[in-house]
Amino acid sequence: MTRLTGGLIDRSRSLNFTFDGKSYTGHAGDTLASALLANDVRLMGRSFKYHRPRGVVSSGSEEPNALVELRSGAWQEPNTRATVAELFDELEAKSQNKIGSLSFDFLAVNDLLSPFFAAGFYYKTFMWPRAFWEKLYEPAIRRAAGLGSLTHEADPDSYDAGFLHCDLLVIGGGAAGIAAALTAARSGARVILADEDFRLGGRLLAESNPLEQPATDWIAGVEAEFASLPNLRVMRRTTVWGAFDHGVFGAVERVSDHLPTPGKRVRQSLWRITAKRAVLAAGATERHIPFANNDRPGVMLAGAMRAYANRWAVSPANRVAIFTSNDEGHRTAVDLAAKGVEIIAVVDARTGAKSQGGYRTIAGGHVTDSKGRLGLTSVQVTANGQTEWLDCGALGVAGGWNPNLHLASHHRGRPQWDDAAQAFLAQDGAVPGLTIAGAAAGKGSTAQALASGAQAAQAALGDLGITATLPDLPRGEDAQMNQHALWHVPGKGRAWVDFQNDVTVKDVKLAHQENMVPVEHLKRWTTLGMATDQGKTSNVTALAVMAELTGKSINQTGTTIFRPPYTPVSMGVLGGGDTGVHFRPRRLTPTHEWAKSQGAVFVEVGQWMRAQWYPKPGETHWRQSVDREVLATRKGVGICDVTTLGKVDVQGADAGEFLNRVYANAMGSLKVGMVRYGLMLREDGFAWDDGTCARLSETQYVVTTTTANAGTIYRHMEFCRQCLWPELDVQLISTTDAWAQLSVAGPNARKLLERVVDGFDLSNEAFPFMACAALTICGGLRARIFRISFSGELAYEIAVPARYGNALMARLIEKGADLGATPYGTETLGVLRIEKGHAAGNELNGQTTAQMLGMGRMVSTKKDSIGAVLSRREGMVADRRVLVGLQPVDAADPVVAGSHLFTQGAEQNTATDQGWITSACFSPHIGSAIGLGYLENGAERMGEVITAANPLQGQSVAMRIVSAHFVDPEGGRLRD
Amino acid sequence: MLIPHPLLGLRDAEEFTYLGDARLLDRPDGMAEGAAAAFYEYVHLRDNPAGVHRELWFHEQGDRSWLVVTRNTVTHEILGAELARNVKGGAA
Amino acid sequence: MTDLHPICALGATQPQTRRFGPLTLAENSELALASVALRRDAASPDLPQPVPGEWQAAGDIAAFWTGPDQWMVEGPGLAATDFAAQIAARAPGCSVTEQTDGFVAFEITSTTGPGPIRALLEKLVNVDAHRFTAGHATRTGFHHMSVFVIRRADDRLALIGMRSAAGTIWHALTDAAEQLEVMA
Repeated sequence: MTRLTGGLIDRSRSLNFTFDGKSYTGHAGDTLASALLANDVRLMGRSFKYHRPRGVVSSGSEEPNALVELRSGAWQEPNTRATVAELFDELEAKSQNKIGSLSFDFLAVNDLLSPFFAAGFYYKTFMWPRAFWEKLYEPAIRRAAGLGSLTHEADPDSYDAGFLHCDLLVIGGGAAGIAAALTAARSGARVILADEDFRLGGRLLAESNPLEQPATDWIAGVEAEFASLPNLRVMRRTTVWGAFDHGVFGAVERVSDHLPTPGKRVRQSLWRITAKRAVLAAGATERHIPFANNDRPGVMLAGAMRAYANRWAVSPANRVAIFTSNDEGHRTAVDLAAKGVEIIAVVDARTGAKSQGGYRTIAGGHVTDSKGRLGLTSVQVTANGQTEWLDCGALGVAGGWNPNLHLASHHRGRPQWDDAAQAFLAQDGAVPGLTIAGAAAGKGSTAQALASGAQAAQAALGDLGITATLPDLPRGEDAQMNQHALWHVPGKGRAWVDFQNDVTVKDVKLAHQENMVPVEHLKRWTTLGMATDQGKTSNVTALAVMAELTGKSINQTGTTIFRPPYTPVSMGVLGGGDTGVHFRPRRLTPTHEWAKSQGAVFVEVGQWMRAQWYPKPGETHWRQSVDREVLATRKGVGICDVTTLGKVDVQGADAGEFLNRVYANAMGSLKVGMVRYGLMLREDGFAWDDGTCARLSETQYVVTTTTANAGTIYRHMEFCRQCLWPELDVQLISTTDAWAQLSVAGPNARKLLERVVDGFDLSNEAFPFMACAALTICGGLRARIFRISFSGELAYEIAVPARYGNALMARLIEKGADLGATPYGTETLGVLRIEKGHAAGNELNGQTTAQMLGMGRMVSTKKDSIGAVLSRREGMVADRRVLVGLQPVDAADPVVAGSHLFTQGAEQNTATDQGWITSACFSPHIGSAIGLGYLENGAERMGEVITAANPLQGQSVAMRIVSAHFVDPEGGRLRD
Repeated sequence: MLIPHPLLGLRDAEEFTYLGDARLLDRPDGMAEGAAAAFYEYVHLRDNPAGVHRELWFHEQGDRSWLVVTRNTVTHEILGAELARNVKGGAA
Repeated sequence: MTDLHPICALGATQPQTRRFGPLTLAENSELALASVALRRDAASPDLPQPVPGEWQAAGDIAAFWTGPDQWMVEGPGLAATDFAAQIAARAPGCSVTEQTDGFVAFEITSTTGPGPIRALLEKLVNVDAHRFTAGHATRTGFHHMSVFVIRRADDRLALIGMRSAAGTIWHALTDAAEQLEVMA
């Protein structure tokens, strides 16, 4: 087939492309589908289940058949509709769903076995034996049935996201959409016009004479005006795919899918559009009329055939027949005939139908069968009891139009059948703020579309108090379709309803027999409309067939509704570019640069990157580094960045009273210049978080939270402040990032700090355990110092403005060289605290109580605080498990966190379970692995040997119960 | 969804963290007689209506205000929003 | 004066600057910040107190609203000073908290007026770029964080986010600006 005359392709620009390895040429303005048709390629794919040869059916995003894989290597993308793939030079496309070649697919044997593959086959057949599913059935089915194939390489493209706001969003750039946008934009309102196509115009581009003047002239004029209006944004190649609550819409702009490579551009952009009002002008999708063997390449929608002829100057064949139940089929015949295509006949289901041109019309006729293994060669026509075969290479089918009301049902609004329109129409207000215009509202003529678009925009803006005048619009054609209801042609052969999921009229009948009558059951039983096209060309037809079978009206039968997305959206763009290291924010500690320079190994802790340990030359295993850091800290002095702990500045006249209520223990009584350990409970009485409260003045505290709970606890404190006790005078603000906080721990900690403070008296008398103060260091830098210890050693935490943290770390290491100053990371931090028996996240896991932590008496009964009342519940008070230390009897044995504890020799089950190990590490101080755990009556069982069972790894270890304080149980070190 | 913040106007719901039933404002007195029973109800017994519901939203990515939002949980229609501190203040 | 040398939030000793077409993005390491919250019965502080959603400059300082009875006060070029103490002196009886190092500030300027600023805003945050005119300030979501966005002038925008995430914010900002340059 050569090109027809006319069309909107740029013949001066030839584009080379390949399909299944064969080279072809198309033109700028082509889609892959139109270019393939122009090269006489009708066979474009194989069907999902039966592997039937398939060709293109439509000319738009509703396409069920012509799904191809585009590009290669990491760029390979399956299931792309050839009808919307804009042709570019060197485009590489492959057909899918086949083993072998497209014209000889080994899996076509499924078609011969089709009696076994009818609806419900999977459900009934692959149920048993159950063990076969995972190993045998599923892989085989996936191999045979998969839609396309994925590259296993990472997506090389980038994506981004953005946010737009407007008064009016117009969805669809056809006649109605253009009229709506023009009306609104001239009023000065802020307007966005989004269209999925690369060229504005919609069906105006597909019809021969929709306007009194050439449609492209009018569109060009409007586009020139659009370009001059700063309050209008036209977004081509942009699909509005979801209507969310309160005027929020999701849209994807295909920024560079039409380019050979994106270069530095993103591939696609995800837009969140917040619109005060919206006009849905998404047009309509033509439906076909199922008849026996209606799925051969060459059988397509009559409107699509017209679009290919008028816009892309191509016909799928030289000899074409039409099968129609309305006047639309005749339009196709007239348009194609005008371009020199031979119209064999128009088969019109309406008795008394008349020819509208010089072609043969068979009134009251049906197409009842077809022939052609890899492409249509002839159709059988039955009319008035006579049957004849007509030779033709293509058949255009016109069964009426289904309005594209998908977005209008995204809020669960159920469309209603409209007899006059012979279509489902969306109900007013189905999506608040959204009105529907043009063919999407069942107003399918160009004149109706223009008028309803302009009126919809005017009314929508009127709601917003913006006056818009209706523009002068060109006169449009106003033909009515004269639709005759014909939902399928009765007969014996298989008549396809849903091409993409291979659902036939017979399957719908089977669903009826199996009593899968409600539309939702019909859909799930047959998989109708559940493919990537979401049944755009098939759903309504299937419902109508079901209605016929049940003897109900279509309206009584009802319809399924649509969910987002309107058309498939790639996962990449939904991520909006937040992938890899940008998947979530990455927070760096103030000493990050220094740690990097020291070769630290980093670990992700939530959003934070923290130094995990600092390997020294010659250390080949992390344990060597960690053991060294632990011993250096206990012997000399270790320094660790603890900035990540949440810090909240609590101020106000009632700050003390506020903290009294938030913490289980009393904070109001804390003296200025002192620090207290604080335990927070959840309101249900369980332990939640811990930290320290430092009182800087009568009206100011700085409290810390665990790293993991920093955000949650801040939110909770604001809840307490605003929702529970707004009468208290208290103000909160997070200062986590503001201060670099370093822990300086070990017997030499004081000596080291004395070398950096500006004359501040750090002696035990002047600055005892749990003291805090503001001071200056290093020649006038303001700082805060807290004498608190997480390691059991003499320890301080010193805080400076974050920008100085890096330099302070370097300074401390430098000044402490002779004191054994050693930086340590989170592993050592963990070992030190386990050796000291300090609770952390593993012990505060949401299932444990203050009593279990050995802090039951800290929960004050003299005051009300969050969680206090329910912490005294009978069941919680009765819990006898408490935190203990555990040491393996054989020092070589491992200790595994999560192991459960049992009396030696006892049967091991939930009834005999006595607790579990929460934390474990190798303790260089003890010389073996150690653990912390909750154990029944643990306090009274010191010295007893029990069993730690780790059935997952088949381990069972004899452990001795010891104090949780492996280091300095009397606490002398930290008070010296 | 858009939440009509009383001070900042319509704000995207993504900026907020949801908590639930605004009855959490009515925390019982822990020192009062029968506190255990009152807290049992307060913590564990909530209504979860299909329809109009008063609920707490925290403007986490915004001004850190807790709001009491009246929302129809079926239609997502929002009937009003107030600063929780004012609601509480008014009730006290 | 301390002999410790500070570093910028992006980790270098000097602040970063990059240009993308008409847009210049610059790390502002000299901006001092302090939060001010009114206490009960506190006298009105001697500071600008813009209404919700706004930013206001006054002499050598500026302030933007951050919450009910709460503002962030900016001191351009004053990061090396004890800014919180200066502000506390002007706000007796208020809760003042040092915030200079809690945040990283990026200043964005356009050489061709408001157009590029609006286009960038659309790629950054969910605020209505056209209504977010000079003098507006808000805190909003930004790549799973929250940031303060301030329209200092038609052709100037500031983005202030948590200091520890400076690298992530900078990456997102420069990516967006680069994309605008490529698409221009």
